[in-house]
Amino acid sequence: MSTHLEMAQLVALRDDDRSEPGMAAALDHFGSCIHCQSELERLHQRTARLRALPSLAPATDEFPAVRARITVERKRRSRGAASIGLAIAATALFAIITRDIVHPKRLDAEQVLQSEMSQSQRLEQALHQWHSDQRVIDGHTAVVVIQLERKIAQLDAQLAASVSGESAAPIESQIKLWRERVGLMNALVEVQVTKTSNVGL
Amino acid sequence: MDAMSLPDADAVIARARLGDPVALEALYRAYSTPVYNLSRRICRTTEDAEDILQETFFEVCRSIRNYRGDGSIWGWIRSVASSKALMRLRRNKYRDTDELHDEIAPARGASNALRMDLETAMARLSDTARAVVWLHDVEGYTHEEIAGQMGKTVSFSKSQLARAHSRLRTWLGEEALA
Repeated sequence: MSTHLEMAQLVALRDDDRSEPGMAAALDHFGSCIHCQSELERLHQRTARLRALPSLAPATDEFPAVRARITVERKRRSRGAASIGLAIAATALFAIITRDIVHPKRLDAEQVLQSEMSQSQRLEQALHQWHSDQRVIDGHTAVVVIQLERKIAQLDAQLAASVSGESAAPIESQIKLWRERVGLMNALVEVQVTKTSNVGL
Repeated sequence: MDAMSLPDADAVIARARLGDPVALEALYRAYSTPVYNLSRRICRTTEDAEDILQETFFEVCRSIRNYRGDGSIWGWIRSVASSKALMRLRRNKYRDTDELHDEIAPARGASNALRMDLETAMARLSDTARAVVWLHDVEGYTHEEIAGQMGKTVSFSKSQLARAHSRLRTWLGEEALA
């Protein structure tokens, strides 16, 4: 190789990148060319100067804006979750009304079921009014809250399946599921009310 | 920057993953300057850099549950920031002014008095070239990673880097030294 190395070859040499075409010949040339050795040194120096440029800091604090956006999003999600809960309750109610017509003798069990559902809804509303998404909790409590919410979500899935179409579960099974839900909701309300404090987020 | 800049990093990250606002703010305080610096070095304006800073930490707060801890927290936040910065470049579609710069740049052998400083020269690079130089030479991204983030080929990233260094070499007056 008689001509000097191109910048792509110099950069490849700097980065020890042997995949660049013609690197074997480039290395031969480089070993005996003072000009190219100087160019590589200048490239190293330029890179070092780039890395030594002063760190630029933001003039404004963007976190309040980030916090406001998180709050808005959490409220939106909370409303979405409440809608899903209401939809499940409405579906269950429709199923009960339909069964009243077909099986009037089951009225006692269905009254119990309705009572459990109402209790669950009351707790749901209490939690919503507490604005749990705006309160800060410690790490341990957060784990408990997440576990309870997961169990409630699993129960909601079971409840949705228990009232769907022809594969509807016996009313006794539904009562059991709703009772479990009320128990979990009670626990969640207790944790939220006693273990959280409002920090405005 | 590493976890050393965030005291008790593991505990802060664990709490942030659970949505603890105090922990999320601690992450912002620890990493807002490097995120802003990366954004400002890639984009042309402070306004863009501030927007990217906000977008990055909004995304961090939303997605930190997805951070699995298999790399450094700074590496993860930086990948969010660089992605947002490159998205901003694409969205803004800044005028690519390389050719214009060639015309106004000092000619070969011109007086050293016309030399630019490094920051001015970087600012004069095209957006794409400047982003590649910064991400590769300063942040340490590989060409494969840059190509992936830009939706381009590895060859594209390599050629942008070489081309940018040729221009920087000229604009910094280093040709006169050769």
